[in-house]
Amino acid sequence: MVTQEQITSYIQNIPPAPFVVKQTLDYVRVGDLTKAAKCAEEDHALKFYLRTLVNRPIYGFRNEVSDLAQIFTILGISTAQQILYNYLLSLLAPKEWGLFKLTSQEFYDLQASLSRKWVKVLTHLNLHNHDTESAITLLPASIIVCDALFGEYKSEVTQLRSIKALDYNTILYRLTKMSLFDICTEIGEKWELSPMISRIVHASSGLDQNLDENEKTLAKWMHLLLFYELSQNTYVEAGLNEFIEFQIEFVQDIYESFMQVVEYDESDR
Amino acid sequence: MNLLCRWWSTMRATVKGRIAIFHPQGFLDGNNAPSFLTIDDIHATEALNIDMLLVSLKKVIFFNKNGLDVFIRLLDSIRAHKHIAVGLCDYDSAKFVTINKFYGSNLTFSLFRTEKIAELFVPTNKDDSKTVLLYNEDASQRSAMAIELFDYGHNPVIAQTKKEFEEKKRNPDLYYAIIEETYLGLFGQKIATRVTGNAIIYTIANFLDAEITDTFNIAYHNNSLNVGFRLFIFDAYKVVSMNVHALNFFTKLASSAAEYNASICFVGMTFEKTPQSFKNDLEDAGIMFFDQMEDILKNKELLQELGGSSGTSSKSTRTLTKALIHELPGFIDATVSTIAMMTNAQAIKESMNIQTLEIKNSKEQYASSIGFYGDLDGMIILIFPKKVARKACELLIGEENNEEEAILDSLAEFVNIIGGRAKALLGEKKHRVDITLPRTYANVDSLLEMAQNRKGVQVDLRFEGSSFTFFLTR
Repeated sequence: MVTQEQITSYIQNIPPAPFVVKQTLDYVRVGDLTKAAKCAEEDHALKFYLRTLVNRPIYGFRNEVSDLAQIFTILGISTAQQILYNYLLSLLAPKEWGLFKLTSQEFYDLQASLSRKWVKVLTHLNLHNHDTESAITLLPASIIVCDALFGEYKSEVTQLRSIKALDYNTILYRLTKMSLFDICTEIGEKWELSPMISRIVHASSGLDQNLDENEKTLAKWMHLLLFYELSQNTYVEAGLNEFIEFQIEFVQDIYESFMQVVEYDESDR
Repeated sequence: MNLLCRWWSTMRATVKGRIAIFHPQGFLDGNNAPSFLTIDDIHATEALNIDMLLVSLKKVIFFNKNGLDVFIRLLDSIRAHKHIAVGLCDYDSAKFVTINKFYGSNLTFSLFRTEKIAELFVPTNKDDSKTVLLYNEDASQRSAMAIELFDYGHNPVIAQTKKEFEEKKRNPDLYYAIIEETYLGLFGQKIATRVTGNAIIYTIANFLDAEITDTFNIAYHNNSLNVGFRLFIFDAYKVVSMNVHALNFFTKLASSAAEYNASICFVGMTFEKTPQSFKNDLEDAGIMFFDQMEDILKNKELLQELGGSSGTSSKSTRTLTKALIHELPGFIDATVSTIAMMTNAQAIKESMNIQTLEIKNSKEQYASSIGFYGDLDGMIILIFPKKVARKACELLIGEENNEEEAILDSLAEFVNIIGGRAKALLGEKKHRVDITLPRTYANVDSLLEMAQNRKGVQVDLRFEGSSFTFFLTR
């Protein structure tokens, strides 16, 4: 099954953030969205990603938005940074998913849906800043890593799970002493993301101790948001419902507020 | 069942002993619940050889009736044609109230507050009577549960009032489990089974007719024969009468038991409303009759004679066949690859001999066994030094758990995987076999008693600097 050597090799092979993306991010961070748009023009893949993403129904624009300067202005600093991180992550996503029954589009939709709802969460918590908003973008890295590491061991995991309800994160940790979230932290470091982003995502496993109050709050909401999304049809069918263990006690106290923030309407379910 | 037409798996039930459990996580409503179960998953569930099928709500933070209904429909359909118990488990008080609100008096399925409680209501291979505290507001539920628990060999302490229950609950250490907020729905109607020493006791009642072929768990019985049980007692105190179909069933059971030199006894059966000729027919088939259970269980000599003291009473041992030895490399491969999967370490074969089982330093070892029967039959036994067993099971139990019971449970799961792999391997060669429930031994001497005189192939393997033993026998 998965070994430490395999993890080391996986981490070594994570590509660094492309130069254009890094520079665009730098302009965004200092608030120069015009220069950011100009810089992004140089990377055709990034340009295409931004145009496609922003025009997906989840962003709710009535008319097609195609001009990058316009896109960056509409998005604003925090969301632009969030989307650039999402783009970085999409570079890491596999073309063909091996373990989960996901398409690229479904994965992008997951990223977008998490990001949109996360903004609502931060507004509700009044913990909005560039880093907290971007934190959500690193979370789906855990899914990519899981697929990459376990893809070739699908039948072994099925066999194991037929006798014990073990999630992938637990299996990985017990075999290698590294969790999916440890690997996310490594990715964050490689891409020079703010350490706070990595800390929040790591804590969103629901297993970390010694967190400061704000980080703990954000970790709880992120954990519950993840399971809210992974309970949607597409992701249940993709097999994502079982990828990490849902720490129900960790989030019990925020459940009522969460349902209001995501505007869960039971009557149509 | 009108569920989505998808042919890959999204959620499979986890099987432990005779119970299979689905473990959905997060939110469960009418929109997403059908996505948890593909047609493949449903077929796989129907094919399981189990006595109980449950849905765990432990990791479900929100559910509504539409969501639960999807699972309940599957449970009901499986209960109807497999005669097994079905229900929900692992919920807190709030969830229990909600479920009752949803289904009220139409509750056809069972509710078990924990998985541990559910396990008390199914047969096991273990001889461990548990003392449990039981309370239910409904007196008929209280009695039904007490009878079931007693029939499965446990010792229920029944609180008659809420006040008495609360008082007794203050001493939780006295009880293996405290059973509350639990409900027995339409139960599986399987014949209750318990293990006492090396004897299996089945409880039968009322009128015995053709239905016994459905309610008697023949797979469990075959399992027990294959893992070495040689004494089967039918507790028939509550039997009113039997007809010719039941008579035929028991005579067939007696002839198949004879192949294993096993004994079948009836205890407490009166023939007031059953023709005396039936008794003669049953005796001719080899079935023995006793008035009291103690007549057998407290008579050591008789117990030895009947096969209920240990495997030593087997009158003859079955020899290894060529066909079985031919499959040996596959069995060893299944063992080695399972160890590699669970530990990422390689097990290496050191020696191999045809001999009777030989274990050095038996006090420091754990053992587990699993049988298979069908086109080929036999038994795989693994004997591990305790430290190695712990290491081999670390993936299943985690680093922090050092409890003997957890290690033994995991060893059972471990040999279950090996058994499953061996079954698949034999299937590829067109040998159809079923595997038995795994059995574990904290005391290897009792395994030695069972397996002594049996010739088999003993393979000594080395794993992470320690040796362990693989033994294949019949």
